[in-house]
Amino acid sequence: MDETVENSAPPAEDVAAPDDARLVGRVVAGDEDAFEELFNRHRRRVALIASRFFRRREQIEEIIQESFTKAYLALADFSNERETSFAAWLARISFNTCYDELRRQKRRPESAMSEVTEDESEWLKGQLRAEGAGDDVEAATVARDLAHKLLSRLSPEDRLLLVMLDVEGLSVSEIAEINRWSVSKVKVRAHRARASLRKVLGRFL
Amino acid sequence: MVVKKRDSVSEERLDRLGRGLVRASAMNEAEAEAAASSGFLYARLRSRIKQSEEREGWLVTLRVFWRAVPAMALVAVLAVALFISTSLGAGPSDVAGDESPLDMTTEGVVFADARNMSSDDVLATILNEDEQEASR
Repeated sequence: MDETVENSAPPAEDVAAPDDARLVGRVVAGDEDAFEELFNRHRRRVALIASRFFRRREQIEEIIQESFTKAYLALADFSNERETSFAAWLARISFNTCYDELRRQKRRPESAMSEVTEDESEWLKGQLRAEGAGDDVEAATVARDLAHKLLSRLSPEDRLLLVMLDVEGLSVSEIAEINRWSVSKVKVRAHRARASLRKVLGRFL
Repeated sequence: MVVKKRDSVSEERLDRLGRGLVRASAMNEAEAEAAASSGFLYARLRSRIKQSEEREGWLVTLRVFWRAVPAMALVAVLAVALFISTSLGAGPSDVAGDESPLDMTTEGVVFADARNMSSDDVLATILNEDEQEASR
């Protein structure tokens, strides 16, 4: 057997696409193409996270740009090997960016909350009276508009937590990791968030 | 007790309805996909990163000035205070005895002795000299 042919074959891992950690290393070393590769890999995930909180495309684009900008400027933190997964780290940045934007929106005086219409209020009452209340809510087209109106009445912290629990399906420990909270703090906040949402719904029922 | 049970049932229903509404509010995949596929998104991102890096550079310079200027001002104040205190300390000294250092009168005449002789003293001096000459 020809040893030179055997030795010149590239190892399998170099032929396959480099993993995120390797790309981060290359970005830190100054390779901009590596950052573009990271962006293309993860932009949809960031967009999806943003779409949990914001409806308009421009808002979602803004969150994508802000999240990736923060990630780029903080890449040294990731490459210091404190983080194990780039995707998880980027998701944390995205959630925090969404939270910051929700707080900013809440502070603006012109962001008046839309009123719930009579029809929407009746629909809510009907949902509550129905046997499987809430089971098929997301299927209703009226639900999306109404849901945004109602959730805008919650504090940004409550809204963030409820989305993480009910939409993203994250566990308490995962939420604690993302927000740098203790597990007990997550549980207490989740309890309060549900109580707040019940209070908001109760006003219209 | 019956009222409590009814309350817990309605709470449960409210929670279930709330969960459904939260999920409904998040059903926005079409907009998410449209945003992620937006044209020139990466180019805009690069431009934003460049602006952020420039802003960070200015902020670092500002922070350095913010810390350096008060420190330099403090040093300057201390230097001026030291200068003033040494200047005040080098003012006219108290004369312990009659002999004083050379001093300038307004007319420019220097008196070595601080004492000003009165006319009587001058007359006494002259008379003493005359008597001494007469006795010789």
